Amino acid sequence: MSERLLEVTDLRTTFRTVTGAVPAVGGVSFDLHGNETLGIVGESGSGKTVLARTIMGLQPRTNVEVTGSVLLNGHQVVGASERTMRTMWATEVAMVFQDPMTSLNPVMRIGRQIDETLRVRLGMDRHAARARAIELLTMVGIPSAQSRYRAYPTELSGGMRQRVVIATALACSPKLIIADEPTTGLDVTIQAQILNLLDSLKEQLSMSVILITHDLGVVATRATRIIVMYAGQIVEMGDTRDVFFHHRMPYTRALLDSSPKVTNAPHTRLAVIPGRPPNLSTPQPGCAFAPRCAYATERCHVEAPTLVDASAPGHRFACWNPLPETSDREAR
Amino acid sequence: MSDLLDQSPGIEPLREQRLGPLFWICVGWLTLNVLGAIFANVLPLVNPLYQNYIVINAGPSLHHLFGTDDLGRDILSRVVFGSRVSLAVGSGAMLIGFGIGMPLGMLAAYRRGRLDSILTAVMYVLLAFPAIIAVIAVISFWTPRTLVKIIVVIGLASVPLVYRVIRSATLAVATKDYVTAAKVQGSTDRRILFRELLPNIAPIAVSFLLIGVATVVTLEGALAFLGLSVNPPTPSWGNMINESRTVMAQNPWLVIFPSLALCLFLLCLNFIGDRLRSYFDVTEVKL
Repeated sequence: MSERLLEVTDLRTTFRTVTGAVPAVGGVSFDLHGNETLGIVGESGSGKTVLARTIMGLQPRTNVEVTGSVLLNGHQVVGASERTMRTMWATEVAMVFQDPMTSLNPVMRIGRQIDETLRVRLGMDRHAARARAIELLTMVGIPSAQSRYRAYPTELSGGMRQRVVIATALACSPKLIIADEPTTGLDVTIQAQILNLLDSLKEQLSMSVILITHDLGVVATRATRIIVMYAGQIVEMGDTRDVFFHHRMPYTRALLDSSPKVTNAPHTRLAVIPGRPPNLSTPQPGCAFAPRCAYATERCHVEAPTLVDASAPGHRFACWNPLPETSDREAR
Repeated sequence: MSDLLDQSPGIEPLREQRLGPLFWICVGWLTLNVLGAIFANVLPLVNPLYQNYIVINAGPSLHHLFGTDDLGRDILSRVVFGSRVSLAVGSGAMLIGFGIGMPLGMLAAYRRGRLDSILTAVMYVLLAFPAIIAVIAVISFWTPRTLVKIIVVIGLASVPLVYRVIRSATLAVATKDYVTAAKVQGSTDRRILFRELLPNIAPIAVSFLLIGVATVVTLEGALAFLGLSVNPPTPSWGNMINESRTVMAQNPWLVIFPSLALCLFLLCLNFIGDRLRSYFDVTEVKL
């Protein structure tokens, strides 16, 4: 492991709404090292996307309160002005957005969308930028990049568009790429291609990736470490192997149980987590997962658990009644 | 199996969206109008101010295709020359309206925050005041009336309308991921405004521009009808209709031809604007 690229300490993002304050991210701390893939997993509304946008410094300045610290390669993001962020965007950190249908400008040729970054941020001239853009398009696996350079986004399929989005993000060789559910809009075979592409580019360019998803399968083989989020908080984090095979938090278990397995008999009913994620604008004491948890006791409803260390280094979980420690839990 | 597929409904291939012949007819008519207004001097027309007392209130004839008015002036010539006023007001006022309203609307929607709050509040206050009354009031007192003054007043009155439409169109685009993506990729504000936002609101702006021209031309017609537009004897569609009131019984042609010209002009503008909007809308859905 090389030096720390990203240090997030007690990060809180609170939205002020008419119905009260909504703590979308409620005190999150983690580190990210160079050339590492971190998976952030959680249900819809668990605060993954808000966390990503906060790390990017993309939260609007009004009606949002961000406290804590995000150190990106030594630069503080929390409270940084847009001008400061502009010096970091694209060169330090870039983002791959969720939906390739909306993250490309429909009226601009894709080549221009990549060029522009190169010319504005790296000061390349027209020809150099064009050559580099074609090189990038080739790198992300777009066939006949030379002619596709002049294509409009509508002329490309969803998978191709997401490749273009990735090429745009890579343009200034950022040290960190945040991919927010990069494969949600794509079908399964293309999903795998895009994820493998991100993975190989990560190795090739020795950058770090934060992969945000609701699908544990997506991060299983690609992430070095996994963070499981629930209701804006980290409930379990650790090396991918530990989270999959030695998880202690019942929520992680429930998430794993609710994904379909190839080994299941045909017509097996998929396990679901009963209930809904909590409404964050009316804070409840105790563990946020308690109302849906099969292991919940009196204490869970009153006192919120904090992250404690498990036996493996770096493996932490927040639960009063953790699943028993096993030598190798079967990832079901 | 293939039979089944052939018969099943809903797999008909998507037909290419066309603008349709009516659209092009309208474009043709407007072009004719514009050319007529520009080259009115060169065209083989009688002087619109020449009073021929031998043929007064005459119906259409070979000599005077649209007939003559109560002073013996050629109606065809006056309709053609009258279009100059309408077109000048329509294009001039919209130039001012868009020139001021569009940048403000885009900036407010992109910047948000205090600038947006203040601008929007001011514009909505202005919108709440009936524009036509404001225009009539200003024009009545700002004498002597000239075409330029009329254009300026109507143009300024249209600013809040343009602002509102452009702002909401920009708001819809500014929240799209590709704008955030451009920002995160290092695009400057100016680039985002001109390269990301402007092209994407252009279809809405263009169709609103056409409908705006139509509205403004109507407004000028109304002013002229009240005798508040260009001074006679300069012809304009509005003041021709106004002058014809007294002789409508003897000479209906005098009201029919300028009204028809105005009507067709507005119809074409509205139709083109509408057609363009739905044409571009479909393209958006296809994305």
